[in-house]
Amino acid sequence: MEFKDYYKILGVDPTADAKEIKLAYRRLARKYHPDMNSEKGAEDKFKEVAEAYEVLKNDQRRAKFDEIRKYGGRKDKGFEPPPGWQKQGQSGSQYNEHMSGDFSDFFNSIFGGQGRSSRANGNQQAQRGQDAEIELPVFLEETISDTQKSIEYMLPVYENGQRKDVKKQLKVTIPQGVIDGERIRLKGQGHVSQFGGKTGDLYLHIRVVPHPIFDVQGHNLVLALPLAPWEAALGTKVTIPTLEGKISVSVPPKTQAGKTLRLKGKGLKGRKSKEGCITGDLLAIIKIVMPSEINEEQKNLWQALAVKGAFDPRAEWGAKK
Amino acid sequence: MSQTHISISSTELSIVTGVETEVIVKLVEYGIVEPLNGDQVEVWEFETSSVHWIQKALRLRKDLEIDWLAVSMVIELMQQKEALEKQNAAFQRQLSRFTK
Repeated sequence: MEFKDYYKILGVDPTADAKEIKLAYRRLARKYHPDMNSEKGAEDKFKEVAEAYEVLKNDQRRAKFDEIRKYGGRKDKGFEPPPGWQKQGQSGSQYNEHMSGDFSDFFNSIFGGQGRSSRANGNQQAQRGQDAEIELPVFLEETISDTQKSIEYMLPVYENGQRKDVKKQLKVTIPQGVIDGERIRLKGQGHVSQFGGKTGDLYLHIRVVPHPIFDVQGHNLVLALPLAPWEAALGTKVTIPTLEGKISVSVPPKTQAGKTLRLKGKGLKGRKSKEGCITGDLLAIIKIVMPSEINEEQKNLWQALAVKGAFDPRAEWGAKK
Repeated sequence: MSQTHISISSTELSIVTGVETEVIVKLVEYGIVEPLNGDQVEVWEFETSSVHWIQKALRLRKDLEIDWLAVSMVIELMQQKEALEKQNAAFQRQLSRFTK
């Protein structure tokens, strides 16, 4: 077992007073807290720091640790509890649950591993199993109706005290109208409680996969509609893709780039409710595209247009030719 | 087929997050979570993501030793940041469709 020097972890002197210890903890907690720092390793670092603080902020535990430190610090070959050492009794209430409560073996060997034991909460008979969360990629097409999906995730199973990760499969219905970032709850599909409590839940964190053609704005879909310059000038009829098949749309003459054509009811669908469901629109934004190749004949046609066009697209700038 | 839930009652929220109903009320008062309906605690329903935010709030309060007001500000800023990052990514994607 590895000896942990909690003073070193917090970067304080063994003679540091409670105020210095608190300050050192706060600095490190702010830096490494997994809710603030998503970098790899930050969570482990934070756990270490939290464990060190859990011990050093409490006079009794600190005194016990100081004693152990004298003994453990002299040894090079890892830490063994001193002979005849007694784990601290079950005075659980002074140990609060910390985050997921998983302290190191070193901590547990000294303080009896009841860092997670007590919750002051009376409405729970036994501690629930942990919740699990997985990211679930969902295609835009799958959000416009209830969709059945098979999901797979890993859950730890304990056999004879050994932890083993086992693959679990479920069939679920993803309700119409789910949005990116939403969480769907599946009761009792999380971790099994090791303390005889209820099984935890599973959360599906919805990730809507970016679509090759459409972008999402609330319930609306946005589509870039490419037109040739002459189509924009003369007007045309185009076939536009939607999530539910193709539709034909008229583009009026003299259509500017950036203009939006709103196709009512061709967007995303909201959640089903008694009042029905909200349906968004499809917004087709005009984009004018030049052909990449121009032959001699076409060049002459553009030339004629340039002469007869009498059009200054930069008139707004007030620049005179 | 496993049953999916997209909302959660205040009673259940209290069970899965391990806090008393009074704490849930406090979290609502500070705007950390928001019920989808009504004034009465007994009938409150929340988005299931509320579980995630309450767990985060409890962690922040305990681990950083900050009060509820500070927690609510941190949560609010985290949610804003998340929304802005999402919006920014969407705009970047949309912009690329017009510049390529």
